[in-house]
Amino acid sequence: MKQEIYRFNCFVENRPGVLARIVGLISGRGYNIQALNVGPTEDGTVSKMKIDVLCSDEGVVEQIKHQLMNQVNVIEVTSRKR
Amino acid sequence: MKQKAMRTGAQALVDSLVKAGTEVLFGYPGGQALDIFNCLPEAPMKFVLGRHEQGCAHMADGYARATGKPGVCLVTSGPGATNVVTGLATANIDGVPMVVITGQVPLPLIGTDAFQEADTTGITRAITKHNFLVHSADEIPEIVAQAFYIATHGKPGPVVIDVPKNCQQALTAAEYPERVSLRAYHPEKAPNPNDLSKFAKIVNEAKRPVLYAGGGVITSGAAADLANLAHKAQIPVATTFMGLGAFDERDALSLRMAGMHGSAAANWAINEADCIIALGVRFSDRVTGNIKLYAPDAKIIHVDCDPSSINKNVKAALGICADIKDVLTTVNSRIKANTHAEWLRKIHAWQKERPIAYRPMHEGVIMPQAVVEAIDKATNGEALIVTDVGQHQMWAAQFFRHNTPRHFLSSGGMGTMGFGIPAAIGAGLGKPGAKVVCVVGDGGAQMTFEEVVCAVEHKVPVTFVIVNNSCLGMVRQWQQLFYKERYAGSILSVKGRLDMERLDQDLEYDYLPDFTLLAKAHGAEAFRVIDPAKLDQTIKKAVGCGKTAVVEVIVEPRANVYPMIPGGKPVTEMIFG
Repeated sequence: MKQEIYRFNCFVENRPGVLARIVGLISGRGYNIQALNVGPTEDGTVSKMKIDVLCSDEGVVEQIKHQLMNQVNVIEVTSRKR
Repeated sequence: MKQKAMRTGAQALVDSLVKAGTEVLFGYPGGQALDIFNCLPEAPMKFVLGRHEQGCAHMADGYARATGKPGVCLVTSGPGATNVVTGLATANIDGVPMVVITGQVPLPLIGTDAFQEADTTGITRAITKHNFLVHSADEIPEIVAQAFYIATHGKPGPVVIDVPKNCQQALTAAEYPERVSLRAYHPEKAPNPNDLSKFAKIVNEAKRPVLYAGGGVITSGAAADLANLAHKAQIPVATTFMGLGAFDERDALSLRMAGMHGSAAANWAINEADCIIALGVRFSDRVTGNIKLYAPDAKIIHVDCDPSSINKNVKAALGICADIKDVLTTVNSRIKANTHAEWLRKIHAWQKERPIAYRPMHEGVIMPQAVVEAIDKATNGEALIVTDVGQHQMWAAQFFRHNTPRHFLSSGGMGTMGFGIPAAIGAGLGKPGAKVVCVVGDGGAQMTFEEVVCAVEHKVPVTFVIVNNSCLGMVRQWQQLFYKERYAGSILSVKGRLDMERLDQDLEYDYLPDFTLLAKAHGAEAFRVIDPAKLDQTIKKAVGCGKTAVVEVIVEPRANVYPMIPGGKPVTEMIFG
C-alpha cells in the first residue's frame, strides 16, 4: 500500500507527560513518526508540536486527528499532506 | 488577616474525594499510601478493603457501572499500582468512570529504582482516559476535581492520580475548587441542526430500518428516548453486548443482541437493512465480523459522543458527534409514525425460524443455559446480572430477558476473566436492595475468589452462581471448532485432560477445587446442584437467603455457545450447532 507523509500540527498545554502521551498514542498504534519538533509558543503555557507520520489513507489521518483531539491536554490539531 | 487553615496533602486528598461525592472507597494499603490511609478513619465515606488490588479496581468498576457514579479506588505504589492495571484497561475500553489514586515514592526518589517504585503514569498512559502525577500538595484539590470531571464527561473513563509520599505529607492551604475549568478539554458538543434534519429524513425514507443500540445509550440515560423512537416508527431494535438493557427484550420490537453470538434475527436484519441507526456503539470486530460485507445495503447513521468512534470501523452516511439523549429528544418529534409492517413480518418469521434456544445433550446433566433461565425465573427478570468472561457470559447475554439499563454488567471490550466476582460486590454496595446475581465460570471464579470475603464482611447479599463445566469453555469451544479438538491448556479437571501436563490420572477428585468448601471457608452460604430437577429450587433458595451465597452448578461440559459467526466471517457463515 502506498504511504505518504502527513504533518500534524498540534497545539498542546506545556506540561510534563503531554509529549509522552501523544507520541505513545501514535507509536502504540503502529505508526512510525518520521520527524518530530516541539517547542513553546509565544504563550509559554502552550507548546506547538509538528509531527510527521507515514499514513496509508485519509481515514487513518482523520482517526489520528480525532484521537489526538480526545486527549485532555490537546488544544488544537490540524493536518496536511506533505 | 485571617490565616488560612493548613492541612496535609493526604488530608486535602481525602477531603477532596468527599467533596467530589465519594461515598464508597475501595482500596488496599501499602507503604507509599499510608499517609492517605491514616486520614480514612474520620472520613465520612465507607471504606472497603479488597483482598487484591485487581479486585479493588473491579469492585470500583462494578460500583460505577451499576450506579453511573464514578468508582473510586486507592492503592499503593509499585505492585499496588501494577495490580490495578487490568482493572484500568477493563474500565477504559468499556467507558466506565473511575478515579484511581496510587501512592508513589517521594518525588526526590523517583527514577532511583526506589523500593516499590514503578513509573505508574508511564504504565497506565495507554489504558486510562487521563492520568496525573502530583508535583506539589497545593495541586491536589484541583487535580482531584479535574480527575472527577474528566472521568465523567464526554466518553467516561478511568483517571489515575499518582501521589508521591512527600506531597501527601507536605502542608497546603489549597481549597477544593468550586468550578472545574479545563483549558483544552471540552467534550460536550451540541448536535448540528442540519444533521438532525438529515437524520429524520433518512429514517423517514427507510423501508427496512434497524435501531442498533450500544452501551452509549445506557451511559447517556437515553433508553426511554430510544423506546419512544422505536415505538413511534415501529423500528426493530438490536443491541450490542454492552447495550443489553437499553431496550426491553420482552418488547415485540426487540431483536435482542447482535454480533458473533447474537440472535440470527438481529444479524439477518442488519444484513438486509437499508438504514441502521447506530447509537452509542463502536462497531467492534465481534459485532461486524467481515467488515467489508457488513450491512451491505444500509445507510448508517452513527451517533456517538466520541468523535474517534465515528468512521473508525465502518463508514457512516451521517455521523453525529453529540450526546445521544440530546439528539433523540430533538429528532423524535420529527420522525413520522410508521408501521413497517412488511419488514416486521419478515423479522418475526426469522425469529420463529431461529429462536435463541438450546437442546439438552445428556440425560440427567444440567445444561448451562438452563442455569441462566433459572436465575431469570427466580428473580422475575429483576436480577442485576454481573458476569465473568467466557461461555457463561454469552449464555447470560442470550438467555436472560434483559429489560433495564445498568442491570447487565460485564467486561465487554477487554474480556477480563476475574472481573465478575469483585464487580458484583461493587454493584451490590452501590445498589443496596438490588438482587445481584453473579454468573461466573469455574475458571474466572478461581482468579478472584478471594474477594468473596469482602461481600461477607459487608453483608452484601450477592449470589455467586458458578457454572462449573470443569474447563475453560470458550477456549475449549474454539479448540473444538477451529483447532481440531486439541484441548491444550483448557481442561481444568483431571478428566479429559490432554497428557501434556502429564498428571497422575488416579487423583481422587474429578472437580477441583470444591467450591462449596471454598465458599464456606470465606464465610458464605454454600450450595451445590448436579441434578437438573433441583436446579430451580436451589437457585431460588440461594437468591432468597438474603446472605452472600455461592451456588456451584455442575453442568454439561460439552455445551457450546450458538449461534456463532466465526471471527472475521460474514453473517452468511453463521453456525447453529
